[in-house]
Amino acid sequence: MANAILELENVRCGYGPTSVLHGVSLSVPEGGIVSLLGANGAGKTTTLRAITGGVRWVGEIRFAGRSLRGMHTEDIVGAGVAHVPEGRGILTELTVDENLRLGAHRRKDRAAVARDYERVFEYFPVLRQRRRLSASTLSGGEQQMLAVARALLMKPRLMLLDEPSLGLAPLVVRSIFQIIRTINQTDGVAVLLVEQNARLALEMSSDAYVLEVGRVAVSGKSADLQGQESVRRSYLGY
Amino acid sequence: MAEFIQQVVSGLASGGVFASLALALVLIYNAMGLVNFAQGEMAMFATFIAFTLITRGVNFWFAFPLTLAAAFVGGLVIERVVIRPVERAPVLTLVIVTLGLATLINGAAGFLYGYVPRSFPSPFSTQTVNILGAFASYQDLSVIAVSAIVLVAIYLLLQRTTLGLSLRAAAFHPEASRLLGVRVSWMLAVGWGLASAVGAVSGIMVAPVLLLEPNMMQTIIIYAFAAAVLGGIESPLGAVVGGLIVGVTVNLAGAYVVGGNLELAVALAIIVAVLVIRPHGLFGRPSARNV
Repeated sequence: MANAILELENVRCGYGPTSVLHGVSLSVPEGGIVSLLGANGAGKTTTLRAITGGVRWVGEIRFAGRSLRGMHTEDIVGAGVAHVPEGRGILTELTVDENLRLGAHRRKDRAAVARDYERVFEYFPVLRQRRRLSASTLSGGEQQMLAVARALLMKPRLMLLDEPSLGLAPLVVRSIFQIIRTINQTDGVAVLLVEQNARLALEMSSDAYVLEVGRVAVSGKSADLQGQESVRRSYLGY
Repeated sequence: MAEFIQQVVSGLASGGVFASLALALVLIYNAMGLVNFAQGEMAMFATFIAFTLITRGVNFWFAFPLTLAAAFVGGLVIERVVIRPVERAPVLTLVIVTLGLATLINGAAGFLYGYVPRSFPSPFSTQTVNILGAFASYQDLSVIAVSAIVLVAIYLLLQRTTLGLSLRAAAFHPEASRLLGVRVSWMLAVGWGLASAVGAVSGIMVAPVLLLEPNMMQTIIIYAFAAAVLGGIESPLGAVVGGLIVGVTVNLAGAYVVGGNLELAVALAIIVAVLVIRPHGLFGRPSARNV
């Protein structure tokens, strides 16, 4: 793809002697939504962790044309990658507001931060009500909203979302996905979406990759994958 | 009654000293789950720096912040040079490293300054003031005031500033904080610097009472442990309350119950009692772990 915000080329990595990714190549276009699907243990979470420097990798990862080789997580994040990790990464000892402030803490554009706060509370009114409460008092859905809100406050160019639907009621999932789409459209934030819920992910995304034991087994336009019954049955389970 | 009040005031002054050192312990415990056994020696060394400045003619109120700044930098450097290489080691390794650090700093102070106790010039008058019939020394009241100011400053730093927020975040959830752009490793170093500076306050406050020598803080650190454990080792507020309770209890027990020679035993009894009855202290959270 000509103007990709994120490119992975033949990325391999593992934990200790265990190899998890055996050469993953994928690409996320500027402002696009791409889903990364596959069964448990296929390497989806590890792929995201590799991008933000959580595991060592070989191959090549480029963000906005620049190699991320050897960069620390903090600097990759500072360059504009917001990673909502598995389990949402909520700091439960802190308040909702403190979690949000951490999202914006490295930004210097104060006026824009204040505007983004307003937007966040527009998207998720419940967070405004719970601002002063400990983040540990939030329900699972509210914690996911907080995670997405905090990611938005980081003013990223790319969001990595690891299973945003996990453990949430279908209605809550719908509304969160709706807002992710809104953020993508109004801010032009690109999204790499890891999901178990393949049907939902394919509806959201323009392109999709299916991982199988650390390799890309199938990739293509989301609409095409949705239409191919053999792919759906063998890889996506619906 | 008047004497009782005097004992309480003087206990509060000791308590302020214990609270500062206990807070230093808590800051590092929160940052890396480690009790820093070198905290007292670091405070002692900082006090020698203050002593050197003051005997060279620097005004106390100028030497004080200067020493805190030096202690901050010293703590930062110790973290970068000594602790960082073993950051991911098991906690026992870290404990041994801090014990070694304590011995090293103690020896260095002995080598540089000798073991002869020196009287540390107090900026506070030793005169007393009459409060409701009880006599409190300006020395005690000033120590209470200085400790209170330092503790409030640390509270404001932790709760009201972005740096404090990052420090707390890095302490609680290093991985999640990194993904929010918090420089976790650097926060550890800043935590050591802060702890070192807060500990230095306790050394400077106690030196006029105890006489300055390399082993000066070795009993104080036990009281500080008692304070931190009583307050709940992870709670900054607990360290302060614990410090005051330990200070007053020990002072009253020494005056009325066990006598001065057994004051340290009271502190140890507090540690044991807390660990048996309420291991998470007054303000800590009970921790459960699956085994």
